Amino acid sequence: MEKRPILVVDDEKNIRLTMSQSLEPLELPVQTAVNGEEALRKLREGPFSLVFLDLKMPGIDGMEVLRQIKDNWPKTRVIIITAHGTIESAVEAMKLGAVDFIQKPFSPAEIRELATQVLEREALDEENAVEYVPLIELTKRHISDRGFAAARESVRKAIAADPAQPEAYNLLGVLLEIKGDRLEAQKFYRAALDIDPTFKPALANLDRTTSWNKFGRIDLGLDREGSSPQEERTKKETDEK
Amino acid sequence: MKNSLYIVIVGCGRLGSHLANQLSRAGHSVVVIDLNEDTFGDLSPDFSGFRVVGDATRIAVLKEAKVKQADIFFATTHEDNVNLMVAQVALKLFNVKHVLARVFDPRREEVYSQLGIETICPTLVAAEIFLMAVASSRAARGDVRP
Amino acid sequence: MKILLVGGGKTLYFLCQNFVAKGHTVVIINRDQEECVQLARQLSATIICGDGSDALILKEAGAMGADVVLAITPNDQDNLVICQLAALKFGVPRAIALANDPENAEIFEKLGVSAFSITHIVGSLIEQRASMEQIVNLLPVGEGRVNVTEIVLNDESPVVGKLLKDLDLPENALVAVMMRDNKPIVPRGANDLLAGDRVVLITLPENHGPVLRAFTGERI
Repeated sequence: MEKRPILVVDDEKNIRLTMSQSLEPLELPVQTAVNGEEALRKLREGPFSLVFLDLKMPGIDGMEVLRQIKDNWPKTRVIIITAHGTIESAVEAMKLGAVDFIQKPFSPAEIRELATQVLEREALDEENAVEYVPLIELTKRHISDRGFAAARESVRKAIAADPAQPEAYNLLGVLLEIKGDRLEAQKFYRAALDIDPTFKPALANLDRTTSWNKFGRIDLGLDREGSSPQEERTKKETDEK
Repeated sequence: MKNSLYIVIVGCGRLGSHLANQLSRAGHSVVVIDLNEDTFGDLSPDFSGFRVVGDATRIAVLKEAKVKQADIFFATTHEDNVNLMVAQVALKLFNVKHVLARVFDPRREEVYSQLGIETICPTLVAAEIFLMAVASSRAARGDVRP
Repeated sequence: MKILLVGGGKTLYFLCQNFVAKGHTVVIINRDQEECVQLARQLSATIICGDGSDALILKEAGAMGADVVLAITPNDQDNLVICQLAALKFGVPRAIALANDPENAEIFEKLGVSAFSITHIVGSLIEQRASMEQIVNLLPVGEGRVNVTEIVLNDESPVVGKLLKDLDLPENALVAVMMRDNKPIVPRGANDLLAGDRVVLITLPENHGPVLRAFTGERI
């Protein structure tokens, strides 16, 4: 089991405090850094298993810190802390190699679960470099089976495998939409379209969610013609655990 | 802290900020929502929770505060109707287990207890305490009947 | 009917006028002293000055005997509470709230209060008109829950040449009436559909898209 510490990088004291407290039950050492410079210094001094990184900090920009982490310590997983409404930077960060993002405000349970998921399960397939296409298909299957936590994981791996393809971002949007966050979902649909403006599923999803007449299926992408349609107005909000 | 709860407080006035400060100091994860960024100034410097600026009667704002994950939801704005609305949304739509709303008008309070909304009416609470003071003063005097 | 209107502004004014013209009794509740004076001068309705979400004011306004309460203030939370008080405390059979924030329309419905959103209705209309010339959404009936739409069938329409009974329509959709050569026909299964027919469809929002597509062959 993982023994290397977790690093929390955020200029806000309350975030560092909340996160340290939330991660305590995991019985892993937690270190903190107030800015990018301190983070890099600590990383140089010893290995970390996981870094929670705030993108908006004074001094070295969070994105630059991410780049340097990926360059120098590629095995160290980075989770981005975003403020509400800044999904665009989360997308950029994931393209650069962040494994996931978490939006403020967050509950202690959310932090713990995300950290656990990233550490435990991803450790298992460090060796299997699974390919993009099967990961996408796996994600779609999970979504159809309503296994949203598993879907989130596989789509994350898909982005890691190939951050320059639109499908994964569309699917991340779908997951957000199902969770009920239509506005953020739209940003992911747009991110997919930024990569490929002709990518139909994202176009359809964006059209549908910006329309007043909200009927229609959630478009997961090609090769799913025969599958059971997802109802747009899903009354139950499924827990994404 | 294993026992730390996720608490959402709507309204950062005197009551809201007091609650937020205490609960944050006790180690809970607190999110405060208020229309006005300036009112967050009432939070103590060691407040370690989150602040969301916005109108809580918009569900988008409640989603931003991740009310769905809340263990406790307090509605403490100075407007009864806002408190009643956000409390209902938290209880019925987000299924928060513990929802409490401050309602100043006792007449509204009785209707809403019908709907299963737990309310605190400061007027009535204060009245009870005043009345208890009368009762205990009479007891001290030796009155037998209440 | 006795109708209680809570709110102010032009919408309230013209609604009141409209109801009075239809022969209904209207009572208005408005918070602003000056506006109340104006309304009292201009409208033949009873004006109560006060907070419509205050049970005493509702009582004064005769909520007990009201058939409809319409809460159209600019504040969604007030509209919600007004309607809930009216329904729960005064037993008003129809209490309808304006949801200024369109997202609140669905929320109010989930909380048991009928609601409508102007943004939604107007946005919908514009969208529908903008997309296809041959479709006219005649009226959102039942607070936006039922659509009545008129379509003109052209040559490309997939239903042309078919009999009504052979169409594979989704559930809860109805072809109410057809106009052919300006003659109205209430169609039965054995009726055929021809290019040039004007068809009036009744649909629910859930099947509106698929039904329209079935008749026009196009993606909306």
